[in-house]
Amino acid sequence: MMDLTWYILGILTGAVAYSLYLISKKTPLNWFLWSGLIAGSSLILFSITWAVGSVLEGVPRAASMGLLLFGLSGVTILTLTARLIASQKDRTQ
Amino acid sequence: MGQPEKKESGNKLNASRRRFLKLGLAGAGVAAAAAGGITAIKRMEGVPHDEFPLPMRDDFKRIDQRNQINVFANSKVLNEKHPERNRSFNTQLKKENPQGFKPFHFYETRSKFMTKPFRDSPGYSQLERALAIGGFSSAMQQLDGGIDRTNTGVSSWEQHMLTPNQYTFDSARQAAISIKSAARVYGALRCGITKRDQRWDYDPMYDAGIERELNWERDFPFEPKTVIVVLVEMDYHAMGSAPSWMADATVGDAYANAIKIVGQLTIFLRQLGYQAVASMNDMGVNAPYAIAAGLGEGARNGAIITPKHGPRVRISKVYTDLELVEYDKPRTFGVASFCLNCKRCADSCPSKAITFGDQSWEPNYSSDPDYTWHASRGIWKFHNDAKKCAKFWIDNDGGCGNCIASCPYNKPDFWHHRLVDAQNVIAPGPVHAFMREMDIFFGYGKVDDPERVRKFWKMGAKI
Repeated sequence: MMDLTWYILGILTGAVAYSLYLISKKTPLNWFLWSGLIAGSSLILFSITWAVGSVLEGVPRAASMGLLLFGLSGVTILTLTARLIASQKDRTQ
Repeated sequence: MGQPEKKESGNKLNASRRRFLKLGLAGAGVAAAAAGGITAIKRMEGVPHDEFPLPMRDDFKRIDQRNQINVFANSKVLNEKHPERNRSFNTQLKKENPQGFKPFHFYETRSKFMTKPFRDSPGYSQLERALAIGGFSSAMQQLDGGIDRTNTGVSSWEQHMLTPNQYTFDSARQAAISIKSAARVYGALRCGITKRDQRWDYDPMYDAGIERELNWERDFPFEPKTVIVVLVEMDYHAMGSAPSWMADATVGDAYANAIKIVGQLTIFLRQLGYQAVASMNDMGVNAPYAIAAGLGEGARNGAIITPKHGPRVRISKVYTDLELVEYDKPRTFGVASFCLNCKRCADSCPSKAITFGDQSWEPNYSSDPDYTWHASRGIWKFHNDAKKCAKFWIDNDGGCGNCIASCPYNKPDFWHHRLVDAQNVIAPGPVHAFMREMDIFFGYGKVDDPERVRKFWKMGAKI
């Protein structure tokens, strides 16, 4: 099961990298926005893998705490970064 | 016309400087992360030491096996010889709990061990008692009735199957790797080889089964040069149900595996022409030998903590006259520093046998020699009151294992725990205290949890 998780994680990581490439093509990104996008998506991917690992080892509480701590941080960072990108876009238009 | 051109080239220069600075910063960040990662990986493998890693004073004395708790508790003769030991322990128990005090006698109470009725709570039914007795049965058969016995069954000192032609290894390294390969095929989790060190050998040895004192020079068949130390894993889920009788099942099963492996290694060595004797809990103290063989680090709970499996291991060993010029080095993995700040084992210990204090040269729970008769002195470690631990086993009518189950190093071999381990070896002390809290927050290391018992009995559906 963990092997399948790594496989899916590989696909997800590829998809995230391609999405970031598309975003950077549409909107010029400075280092701060790049950092936000990379950190946010990495935290979300990390939280998913953590949660799967924890469920497989039979500790569901660790899975939910992992999602809460890492996943929520990731979502927050991504949301803030997306708002910064949107406001930057508005300013340039 | 010259001025704007100059300004443009100046801007270009500034832009390229900025880009260079950004690239430089990014490169430095990547290099720092890589350096941190490499440092963590190196430290997780352990920092090697030329000498035994725990400081020792000159007044350190070899342990008399008659003073070992289990041996004393199993011996009628020793109990009769030392009535002051039971008296002093009872005085202390009465002082600590005047209302609930019940007289305790090491030998008499121990002889009724595992005979109490089943209890109406998860983990203490006929089902778990049967599991535990089944778990121990193989070790008992292999050692002719007792895991603390000397010179019996598989651990017999008789050199049967010894071949007269001695095999010559090409090098010490080849010998070590061959022995470890043999240990692996017989089922060892890990194997380390260290020089025989008399400091860790009981002097004298004592077999409570036949009430006989044994002497290394007089009774042992050869002079050991090397000690091969083997680790065996205990089941995470069964151990997680501690202190229930279910935890006893994996303890007993690991004893059986541990003695089986060293028994096979003994025959392997004898077939190569070297004298060898398998040893479980007898002859020498397992923990310092495992530390000396680089397999783990001494912890607050008195056990060793190993990388990946933490304290959830059993140790057995082989004494042999095969001499190697190179041995495994002791290694430290940052455990002592973590133990200083963690104390989860002390919190979860039902008998409060585990110290909350720091390391010391001798026990600090009492200065009465009639009370601290079993303790070692002159070694810088965490000193625990083993008598209280033994009493809890008897009161519980089984074992315990809370200090193993609650330890933050006790985790299944999953990637995210290795990540936390890597963080722990490079982080300073206050971070360890934080990691202890996170371990609790994430739901690890619970003890006395009936849910773990119920979960265990569902696991058979997966195989």
